[in-house]
Amino acid sequence: MTTHAPPRPATPNELSERPVRLAVIGAGGMGATHATGIKDDPDVEIAWVVDLDLPRAEHLARETGARATASIDEALTDHGVDAVLIALPTSWHRIATEAAARAAKHVFCEKPIARTSADGRAMVAACDQAGVALMIGHVVRFFPEYQRIKEIIDSGELGQIATVRASRTNPPVQERSSWFADVEKNGGVVLDLMVHELDTLCWLFGDVDRLFAQGLTFTDAQPRRDYAMASLRFRAGAIAHVESSWAHSTHRTSIEIAGKYGLIKYSSDKASTLTIERTVALNDKLDRPARVHSRPAMASPHLRELRHFVQCLQTGEAVLIDGAAGVRAITLANAVLDSMRAGKPVFFNEDGSVAA
Amino acid sequence: MTATTPALVRIGIVSFAHHHNYGFATGAQTLPGVEITAVWDEDPAAAAAAATQFGTSFDTDLDKLLARDDVDAVIIASENVNHARHAIAAAGAGKHVLCEKPLATTAEDAQAMVDACERGGVKLQTAFPIRFIPASIALRNAIRGGVIGAPLAVAARNPGTCPQSWFVDPALSGGGAVMDHTVHVVDVLRWIFDAEFVKVYAEVSTRIHDIPVDDTGLLMMKMSNGIPVSLDTSWSRPGNWPTWGGVMIDVIGEEGVLSLDAFADVLEVAETGAGTYTWRPTDSVGDAEMVLGFVNAIRNDTPTEPSGVDGLRAVQVTLAAYESARLQAPVTIAT
Repeated sequence: MTTHAPPRPATPNELSERPVRLAVIGAGGMGATHATGIKDDPDVEIAWVVDLDLPRAEHLARETGARATASIDEALTDHGVDAVLIALPTSWHRIATEAAARAAKHVFCEKPIARTSADGRAMVAACDQAGVALMIGHVVRFFPEYQRIKEIIDSGELGQIATVRASRTNPPVQERSSWFADVEKNGGVVLDLMVHELDTLCWLFGDVDRLFAQGLTFTDAQPRRDYAMASLRFRAGAIAHVESSWAHSTHRTSIEIAGKYGLIKYSSDKASTLTIERTVALNDKLDRPARVHSRPAMASPHLRELRHFVQCLQTGEAVLIDGAAGVRAITLANAVLDSMRAGKPVFFNEDGSVAA
Repeated sequence: MTATTPALVRIGIVSFAHHHNYGFATGAQTLPGVEITAVWDEDPAAAAAAATQFGTSFDTDLDKLLARDDVDAVIIASENVNHARHAIAAAGAGKHVLCEKPLATTAEDAQAMVDACERGGVKLQTAFPIRFIPASIALRNAIRGGVIGAPLAVAARNPGTCPQSWFVDPALSGGGAVMDHTVHVVDVLRWIFDAEFVKVYAEVSTRIHDIPVDDTGLLMMKMSNGIPVSLDTSWSRPGNWPTWGGVMIDVIGEEGVLSLDAFADVLEVAETGAGTYTWRPTDSVGDAEMVLGFVNAIRNDTPTEPSGVDGLRAVQVTLAAYESARLQAPVTIAT
């Protein structure tokens, strides 16, 4: 019997010899995006799809050549599994990550890392102790426009950065996903969308000294619409305005950075290399948007992100977005919520924790 | 007098320190029943050139212009700190006053201007042309007409290039980008929502230009109707930007979003000889409509819109923003 031997994380040596065997935990929107995106990658084999909703797990498992189960333990006790991809409601990230770490599985966890900074830190500790990798899915860093912006910022071409505007808008989600909209459990638009910008902006401009925020999250409007605006002051001195919306008609992201020597602007709706417009007879109703923007040249950022994680497991290199980055983003996001509630700025210590 | 021959209003132009006065004077010249009868500028060469441009005479002494019988009203666009001195002198001479924004650099000065014009029995209007841009009027009507249901939040920006010259001398301007670019959006939102600004948190800094005033500003405000507003005032546009800047206001509502981009109606013009690429407005930027509002208030003896008090309120928000940035805390706005 070898079942009593403590589980051991798969090593780069092992994983450069064969595909990384992945268990996808959560077969909702993000789980399906990741699993279908990477299923044909020669370096990856999807071993399990886990979902409490077994028919949903079975459906995705069929599409990706995996086995389905409603039991996370069944996947985690499979010694053939090297890593897990956690795409569960945020408040379950910690328990799932800790279970995976105990089973010596490397962890890719969707953003935000957790609902609270304390949960996030516990996840980092659990993975450190188990010697497994932990990567957080702040996918924006894998979009080509943000990677290009990072190169320009790091080159110093713009000089000292003065002011930044970053925006991410989506249609209301409350109607289609109720767990998502629950502010106490999942933090509304701030933890869903603004956490992207908070991670990206810290990646580009360093740590935040203080922030102030306002919006609809704690108003009567929130059950139907959510919208938040934050003012960030970075330690390096730059000022940023971050806008996050579940109140627009379409998905759109934009960023503008002004520095001493120039300005960069990017807006996703202007970056459409193929635009499809549909015409209809007057007074007819459209069941789909009349105008669709697309960028056929862009390889899926989710696939790039997951491939990066797999390559890190194969080479032993550090992941681009580690647990500490996830904790930083969620600490800022919760501070945004606190500032919105209290109407006061939140200040941060040098180590990124909230100042008393 | 009939509707087709409006009563004559004769205007003296006081200072071209702010180049907006060229636009206001040009707008005034297009109006029936409005004449520019005199100009003055501290710089006699600028005064002489403007007199030629507008087909009128110039005075080298402001008191002389204010003493003229053929001047009913003045449009003042001197350096910010000089608005009060010039407006109070004009009011003392019985001339109606249209004054460039910001109305003054202190609340005391702005209040003194309001009081002096009241005492002198003359009109005082603050030059906020954004209210008169057709798109602003359409935005106000759309919000009031319920096009996006209840308005819930506002994200606004008034970015621009750095104007340099006296604008960056605090002794003449009273402040930088926040002084220059807070008041337009604050005024137009007070008018659209019929509400006051009650609180502000601001980040203010100098990070782009080597100047002794701020060039970067972000204001997070609350209106008396509870609506949160953000406003970026930065002189963040590089010198080679195709236009001076812009005024953009997004209103997030219960049933949709309204986006104003007040100066978006432009021709893109590239000139190979000059090596330039610029955006030029195709239509009104509000100047003539604003002057028309002023002369009609004089003709009909009706209140000016935006009034002197409107100018004062916008100054109070600006000063509270500077105070907030100093304190690193939200500041309640005095009204």
